[in-house]
Amino acid sequence: MAELLLDPKIRFWVFLPIVVITFLVGLVRHYVSIILSSHKKIELLQVQDSQVMIRARLLRENGKYLPRQSFAMRRHWFNNEDTGYFKVQKRTSNAQNPMTDPGMMTDMLKGNLTNVLPMIVIGGWINWMFSGFLTTKVPFPLTLRFKPMLQRGVELAYLDASWVSSASWYFLNVFGLRTIYTLVLGENNAADQSKVMQDQMSGAAMAMPPDPKAAFKAEWEALEITEHKWALATVDTDLLTAE
Amino acid sequence: MYNYEELSINEIFDLLRKWRDNNERKSNEIMSLSERIMDNLDSQPNEKYLILEQLIMADLDCNYPMLAAKWIEMLDADFPDSLRVMKFKSMWYEAHDNYEQAFGILNKIIKADEINAPPALKRCIAITKAMGMTNEAITKLVEYLNQFMSDMEAWQELSELYLQVQEYSRAAFCIEELILHQPHNHLFHQRLADIRYTMGGVENMELAKTYYCQTLKLNPNNMRALLGLILAANNLLGHYKSSGSAKRKEVWKLCQWAQSEVTKRQREAQGSNDSALTSAMLALTIGD
Repeated sequence: MAELLLDPKIRFWVFLPIVVITFLVGLVRHYVSIILSSHKKIELLQVQDSQVMIRARLLRENGKYLPRQSFAMRRHWFNNEDTGYFKVQKRTSNAQNPMTDPGMMTDMLKGNLTNVLPMIVIGGWINWMFSGFLTTKVPFPLTLRFKPMLQRGVELAYLDASWVSSASWYFLNVFGLRTIYTLVLGENNAADQSKVMQDQMSGAAMAMPPDPKAAFKAEWEALEITEHKWALATVDTDLLTAE
Repeated sequence: MYNYEELSINEIFDLLRKWRDNNERKSNEIMSLSERIMDNLDSQPNEKYLILEQLIMADLDCNYPMLAAKWIEMLDADFPDSLRVMKFKSMWYEAHDNYEQAFGILNKIIKADEINAPPALKRCIAITKAMGMTNEAITKLVEYLNQFMSDMEAWQELSELYLQVQEYSRAAFCIEELILHQPHNHLFHQRLADIRYTMGGVENMELAKTYYCQTLKLNPNNMRALLGLILAANNLLGHYKSSGSAKRKEVWKLCQWAQSEVTKRQREAQGSNDSALTSAMLALTIGD
């Protein structure tokens, strides 16, 4: 098969523009998301709940270092049927529809504005503008399986798999510029699109705020079945035998 | 310790960073370095404000209010309306015993941001304590701990306050809370044992003995725990005098062991420091 020769103009008008555009879009995304980011407000009650949970967990884990009476007193305080903290504190379940919460709605809208929209618009535009070019060749042979990945938009059955089409070059850039962004913008920037994609796939972006009611119940149960085993029962004999 | 004259300016900033990260106040040390820090402050644009905060604290601690005022003004110019700067202003008033003004500012901070109020709330409690109103300080601190239950500093402070008003069982409760948070810190165990020993009674003495033992298990070099163990064991021997049971035997053994440990320690440290306390302690024990 004869060696293909690419027009040098492709380098200046397709290859480099795609790199530059992807990079600049990432920069713009970063700054737009900074402008749009709203300070997430935490409720005082939420802080209090989380601290109670920490305390209850510590009691379960380290309660063995306390005398039995102290342990029982604390568990009573948390779990007593009538006066226990987990029983008295009534928390409304937070598992309501996120659509009814205007704050969450704006957050989602902003997320879409900075993440999904540019991806569709820029991706579509690149596909339309630069479609059908071969831009570069990877310097090693590849198997046929790589063809759909590297040659999107150029469906030629007999083309060597190491050629990269323009649309694929765009995607390679989207995923590959992460380290460059880290260099330019520092850690934890918002320019990186691949992270957004991962989030969407794992569903982490849709994670609900934890429901205190359920958490309280779980902690109540865990504490209820915790048995007190006095860890210091033999400490004095341990000391004597350690010699 | 460091010889502050010989440090290069970079070493000084490293040192400041270390103190900051470890939450060490080191006011005197910072004051002795302050002139050189001020001269080179602009070489550290990233840390400038953090260092300024350290300087303010040091100035207030060492009673240089004019300097502190200068730095606070500098911060204020760069961050107008910042709650963090407001806290320093309140501390400045506090340093001048102008508690009314300090309270006013702190209340403003608490109103402005409920979630990040803990530092301001704690300062309020500290002022109350400084005014000598220990009981009010306790009330406030309990209120605070109701909301922020896993604040170890606050639990520790509460136990100190309870000790001041001689509410030993409550102080013990606070220390137990600290042990839950850090079960491997020998000083907490030792403190709990101290409190139990002070409370007296057979049960408390048993607990004191146990916790002194735990302290020694965690840190065999804790001399206070060793001496405390001797005292607690002796006290228990007094209680068990009549019974002559297995318990008495055990305590007796423990007491013997602790005494031999102390003697060993004493011999190791011979000549290096006076052992008046140790010998006094040993004189208290019951002879064979």
